[in-house]
Amino acid sequence: MSVLARSVGNAFRNKVRTGAVVAVLAVAISLALSMLVANQAVAAKVTELNASVGTVLTVNPAGGQGFEGGGEPLTAEQAATAAAVPNVSSVVGTKALRLRNATEAAAQSAAGTQGAGTQAAGPGGGQGGPGGQTTTTLTTSLTAAVDAGTLGGRNQAAEGTTGSTAATQPVRSLPITATGIGAEVDSTGKALEITEGTGLGDYTAESTNALLGTTLAEKNGLKVGSTFTINDKTYTVAGLFDAGTTFGNNALYITLSSAQTLAELPGELSTMIVTVDTLENVDSTKTALQSALGTDKADVTQGQNLETAVSSLDSVKNISFIAFVAALGTAGLIILLIMVMLVRERRREIGVLKAIGAPNRTIGFQFVLEALVLVALGSVVGAAVASFASGGIASALISSNSSTTAATTGRGMPGGAAGFPGGAGLPSGGPFGGASQLLTTVTASASPGVIAAGIAAVFGVAIIGALVPALLTARIRPIEVLRGE
Amino acid sequence: MIEVKNLVRTFKSGDRTIKPVNDVSFELEQGTLASIVGKSGSGKSTLLSLLGALDKPTSGDVVVNGVSLASMPDGKLTEYRRRDIGFVFQQFNLIPNLSAVDNVMLPMEFAGIRKAARLARAKELLEQVQLDPEKHVRRINRLSGGEQQRVAIARALANEPKLILADEPTGNLDEQTGEHIIELLSSLSHDHNTTILVVTHDRSLANKTDRRFRLQQGRLVEEPARASVGAAASS
Ligand SMILES: Nc1ncnc2c1ncn2[C@@H]1O[C@H](COP(=O)(O)OP(=O)(O)O)[C@@H](O)[C@H]1O
Ligand SMILES: [Mg+2]
Repeated sequence: MSVLARSVGNAFRNKVRTGAVVAVLAVAISLALSMLVANQAVAAKVTELNASVGTVLTVNPAGGQGFEGGGEPLTAEQAATAAAVPNVSSVVGTKALRLRNATEAAAQSAAGTQGAGTQAAGPGGGQGGPGGQTTTTLTTSLTAAVDAGTLGGRNQAAEGTTGSTAATQPVRSLPITATGIGAEVDSTGKALEITEGTGLGDYTAESTNALLGTTLAEKNGLKVGSTFTINDKTYTVAGLFDAGTTFGNNALYITLSSAQTLAELPGELSTMIVTVDTLENVDSTKTALQSALGTDKADVTQGQNLETAVSSLDSVKNISFIAFVAALGTAGLIILLIMVMLVRERRREIGVLKAIGAPNRTIGFQFVLEALVLVALGSVVGAAVASFASGGIASALISSNSSTTAATTGRGMPGGAAGFPGGAGLPSGGPFGGASQLLTTVTASASPGVIAAGIAAVFGVAIIGALVPALLTARIRPIEVLRGE
Repeated sequence: MIEVKNLVRTFKSGDRTIKPVNDVSFELEQGTLASIVGKSGSGKSTLLSLLGALDKPTSGDVVVNGVSLASMPDGKLTEYRRRDIGFVFQQFNLIPNLSAVDNVMLPMEFAGIRKAARLARAKELLEQVQLDPEKHVRRINRLSGGEQQRVAIARALANEPKLILADEPTGNLDEQTGEHIIELLSSLSHDHNTTILVVTHDRSLANKTDRRFRLQQGRLVEEPARASVGAAASS
């Protein structure tokens, strides 16, 4: 009979107790494994999200977080400063314009609701306070694809200046967003998905080419090659793009220089889209960029959707990691306590082993092995439970977290009010509930590798837990054998 | 050769100090079969535990073949117990959930003897103490007191110790088995040059030993043995 066989035998000496200990261990171990699985799944998702859009930083003028910005506008010099920051691989400037249908604007003027001269420096939106940056409003031959009515009260930009005559005005459309871009990316830095036609060619030069959102083109019956006007200047549709959202498709893109010329504000930028060379450098570059531009001049943010989703996922990751460690610690503690109890109970027997010449290390080893037999049984049961339960536990964790996110979503549509921190302390929210959409796509599956790593950790903790009682056996003296004689 | 020099063991119980072993000195030549008699509580078990290095004396020393136990570190004492001592306890002290044969194999396992060799020797020893072969693999807690005592004796013999310390080894055995155990111990001492110290109440066993001691109030007195040994030998 070997030490191992003896340890296995000892583990089963009291079957009822062994069963109870294994059951309790299995609960702790399955919880630990489930938490590890959830943690790994979320970590994988975070990496994936970071990898997808993660290297893009957005720079807005200080004081305005929204699409159209506020405060002092950004300048070409600042773009050059940004480009000089280490690890920045590209800086793309954008200039946002607001377009209103010429006929509508004329009708409004005719109704006398607005003073003269509103065309060049039109009504400030909800964002632009006194002294803030006002987005240039121009007229166009296009009709918006989104009705003001469909967006209800959020349509501040359209209704904000109409004052007391609001009740008498006809149903009007939202303004169309025209963005001048310095490269073929949208206003969040993602590459434009051109569905028909071509891009704008040289994005740094002035041109009369434009890219239209699919719904906007459809609403106006325009195709690639058709023409329309902005401030009576004729533009040609070079291509159509699909931004994936109704709002995003009620927009058009022209080159940056064209937009600056239209606005009569050369060298002025609404936002800068900064691409960092690697994912690892994003955090440090964000800090460097912020200090290079100055906090009073510019706000540097990471892709908005992403940032909120990732921080929400990060908290799930942290919670699950803490729970994993706690469950692991519990398993270790259970082993420690049960083994201390067993050592006390077998004091005399340990005395016998010592009296017949067993070295301390042999006895200690036997007790550690006995603990590991219990842990092995607990792990088998725990892993079985975890492989069924971990998916449910992970999604419960994530959905409870993302529902918090959804409830506290503060940021509205682009152009609406800026976001505010969530009530639960989690930075939250995102246009169209993007964060929670991203979250629900996390799939937690108990992969053999993760389970194996978890069980290895359980065994490590169990060995530590069993070492204490095993060392206690060394203190038992052989004379214990005569106790009670 | 075992030399016991002014051995003292005291215990404190409350504010009272008891001295079950009080200045005990004697010498035993290798191969001697000796017995100790004495009333219950006279300190016999305490004396054996000091000789077997289960306990440390308050003062005095035990010298085994020139080596002093008092100066030995704990690791060496463990080795001494494993290699040089065979202990038969008053209450057997076998491992209850192991079989008879596994119990006998334990000291050999600690001594690093190969499995096949220790199994063969364990069976041989159990036959020597006349344990039914079918009970060799039976768990200890399914054996009677007498059977357990025989397993305990077999275990004490496992590593062929130089000194066997037996505390009431025949106390739980019927007369016939007791006789057999006495013969076994006596042949071990004479044929295998093993020193044996037996604590006993059994007159006939004491009479068959080479030297007889009596422990009284912590002090060891040797009784003249010649006549009884001669009588036992002539019977
Ligand atoms: N660990 C101990 N603590 C206190 N007293 C003890 C201890 N061990 C033995 N004794 C006492 O020492 C005396 C001798 O005990 P023991 O050697 O077992 O006697 P015997 O074996 O001769 O019956 C008894 O009075 C006993 O109560
Ligand atoms: Mg006794």
